[in-house]
Amino acid sequence: MVYLRSEEHLERWLADGGWEPGATITAAQMNELARVWWWTRLDPGWRVRTVDESQSILDALGLTDPFWALT
Amino acid sequence: MDAFDLDIRRHVYFSVVANGRPPTTTETAAAFDRPGADIAAAYRRLHDAHALVLFPDSTDIWMANPFCFALTPHRVEAAGRTWTGSCAWDALGIPGALHADGRIQSECACCNERVVLRVQDGVLVDGDDLLVHILVPARRWWDDIGFT
Repeated sequence: MVYLRSEEHLERWLADGGWEPGATITAAQMNELARVWWWTRLDPGWRVRTVDESQSILDALGLTDPFWALT
Repeated sequence: MDAFDLDIRRHVYFSVVANGRPPTTTETAAAFDRPGADIAAAYRRLHDAHALVLFPDSTDIWMANPFCFALTPHRVEAAGRTWTGSCAWDALGIPGALHADGRIQSECACCNERVVLRVQDGVLVDGDDLLVHILVPARRWWDDIGFT
């Protein structure tokens, strides 16, 4: 998961690496996702999230494309 | 994941926050007054449960996500320390996990030019014009977490 300066840089990076495109979101969207995803990571009562719980986090942020399906 | 493994995991994360690095199995064995083999086995179970990531063929901790203990382009200043994120997601996750503001210095994957992001009160106030690309579909993230 990498940062890119623009769509032009994204296209060039994909072409140079021969990568199949995956999913692109803005850094602001990623910040929202990261904040929710990792918020409880240091809680003393932390437990493993279920797949459904993790999927709900993605869904709540509008990441509902099949690319974001955890199973 | 049983109570012992959760205790070990909690110790690992608290050690990371306190010391900026994860404890070795020897250090954790001393903290729990248990044989090193018990701690190594717990580390491996936590790895298998995706609660930690060990370096290949090792019981040294590679990632206690979002914190990473190998060189990457993602440097994060938060809570008075400089951390390393495994990837673009984890780098932004470090201020989130620490419930702190943060400044991320990284690079554009295409041109390697420096990019800076700043999180303040949970909001990305610098770097919000950047893009994040995820190559691997979510269902395959753990197939090769180092690549993901």
